[in-house]
Amino acid sequence: MEVLKTAFDFSDFPRIDIWVASAVAVALLVFPTLPHSSFAMATMIQFLMFSVYGMGWNTIGGYGGQVDLGKAQYVGIGAYTTAVMMIRWDVPFWFSLPIGMGLAVGWSFIIGYPLFRLRGHYFAIATIATSLVLKDVFESWSFIGGARGLKIPLKGEMPNFLYVQFREDYYYYYIMLGFFFIGLFYINWFRHSRMGFQLRSIKDNEEVARSLGIDSHWAKIKAYAVATAFVAAVGSFHACYNFNIEPEDVMSLDLSVLIALMAMLGGAGSLFGPIIGAAILVPMKNYLGAWFGARAGLAGLDLIIYATIIMLIAAFEPRGIWGLITRLRERRSN
Amino acid sequence: MEDLFIQITKAVVAGLMMGLVFGLVALGLTIIFGVMDIVNFAHGEFLMIGMYAGLLTATTFHVDPLVGLPVAAGVGIFLGLACYHGLVRFLLKGPMVAQLFGTFGLMLFLRNVALMIMGAEPRSLHQGILVGKSFILGPGIVIELTKLAAGVLSLAAFAGTWWLLNRTKIGKALTATALDGQAARYMGIPTEKMNAFAWALGGATVSVAGALMVNFWPVDPNVGLLFTMIAFATVALGGFGSVPGAALAGLIVGMMINIAPMWDACVNCLGIESLKGGGMHQFKYSFVYLAYFLIMVFRPRGLFGWKY
Repeated sequence: MEVLKTAFDFSDFPRIDIWVASAVAVALLVFPTLPHSSFAMATMIQFLMFSVYGMGWNTIGGYGGQVDLGKAQYVGIGAYTTAVMMIRWDVPFWFSLPIGMGLAVGWSFIIGYPLFRLRGHYFAIATIATSLVLKDVFESWSFIGGARGLKIPLKGEMPNFLYVQFREDYYYYYIMLGFFFIGLFYINWFRHSRMGFQLRSIKDNEEVARSLGIDSHWAKIKAYAVATAFVAAVGSFHACYNFNIEPEDVMSLDLSVLIALMAMLGGAGSLFGPIIGAAILVPMKNYLGAWFGARAGLAGLDLIIYATIIMLIAAFEPRGIWGLITRLRERRSN
Repeated sequence: MEDLFIQITKAVVAGLMMGLVFGLVALGLTIIFGVMDIVNFAHGEFLMIGMYAGLLTATTFHVDPLVGLPVAAGVGIFLGLACYHGLVRFLLKGPMVAQLFGTFGLMLFLRNVALMIMGAEPRSLHQGILVGKSFILGPGIVIELTKLAAGVLSLAAFAGTWWLLNRTKIGKALTATALDGQAARYMGIPTEKMNAFAWALGGATVSVAGALMVNFWPVDPNVGLLFTMIAFATVALGGFGSVPGAALAGLIVGMMINIAPMWDACVNCLGIESLKGGGMHQFKYSFVYLAYFLIMVFRPRGLFGWKY
């Protein structure tokens, strides 16, 4: 009960934030009933997916301050577990989801134990290296389809809730929205939890944290496992949503960086940061990509704009949009 | 058995040749990342721009690709200074994560600008006095002159950089800034200028490496990332801040990339049916990434590093 109470306790935010957040939540709930194009629907589902990726990344990357650029390997583990189990043994999504999360978390312990001996950018580059090695392994492993990837066969009748196969997108939307709210409340609990406080003290000053008796190595590994579970769950969903997965899609470096980038753009280490980041970057990426991609000679311009925004944010407001809001508020209260 | 020996020698020779070039690619990163401790994800993109600089100089003016080397060096210096003054200067004020994302944005930016200007198709260069000549060391063992020249010139670049860092006043100032920026400032060293100098030097060396490589490696806008990762691994293996370390590590990484093809060749020669068809060559870059991981975990100082 105590846990649930903390999870629903948003009282440390100003009242206006709670009003805005509630309005956004209601808007998300009623979005499928409003008139929309199928492209907008796909963008919204992607927005929800990247929000949950970002929330996961935020535990270790935001609260813990350990910049992880290898999250795509766990997306891949989750997606491939679901796809392989569904194709080979006909296992429903809801059973393969926890197995995929378990496998990913197990792998994160194996990788995390040596990885967290490193700090700063040496850690970041090492996470990229492990992710790329796993991608190479997946690309040449014929049991899981190699570089061509896997295609999940369609079941006869639709909608199929057990295997998560639907003809209409709004079913996927509501399942992902469920994940989104579970994630949001979990993170809200997490930031008040013992582990959350330990991580923030490690981020501020690791030596001091250790002198206070925090086992920083173990705390980081645990937070890394939490982040991994989030990412692997969305990876499993991705396999069912897309029907078709390949290593280049679900395990590329671009995906890893995008996950971290959205959380950082919105504001790493804040509850709403990753959601704000995803809400800005996903529509921008999709619509600019569709817009410029259709014009000859302008392909790539969307990525140039996107890269410019990244550079500006990194140079002038590394704490992201949430940091900007906090600064404006502090200035007003003074 | 005779066959096997030839295969192995071939792989070793190819590995050494490639290794010298990898060393030169890593040299710029040793200065920026190893000595100055600034992450640069756009390093491979600098290489790509150096390759295009060499290629365009040779094709538009119909001159020998060797003329492209100083042009590429100039482009590299300009690029390094522009990136430092336009972006990195601001990134250094923020937390470490700002450097990671800022230079990642720079990488995306340079890659896509190149894509818009040059198009996506790979281009290569087949002209000049070096092309088509080769030494034959034995049956099946051939050293192309383009690769040999790249290797020799990169050795020269290594010697020059080592001399610059260890024997000149400006090099000593650079090392002092890297060791302790605060203390260096107290001693009257302009640390801001030293950072800019490191970027100019790093950009110049990697562009020259690109101009040398374009003689035997096709260039397209996406060529960079692979070399960025290889360069990170090389710098880690050689030890952060060590120029001779980078040279030796380049050779080792070059050999490492050839482990997988060598393994395939051996399996084919010896006719081990159970191992055939595995196709280890798909993993040739995985060895490098794995090496980076293992080195960082077990020996963060690398072979000759003085800091980590």
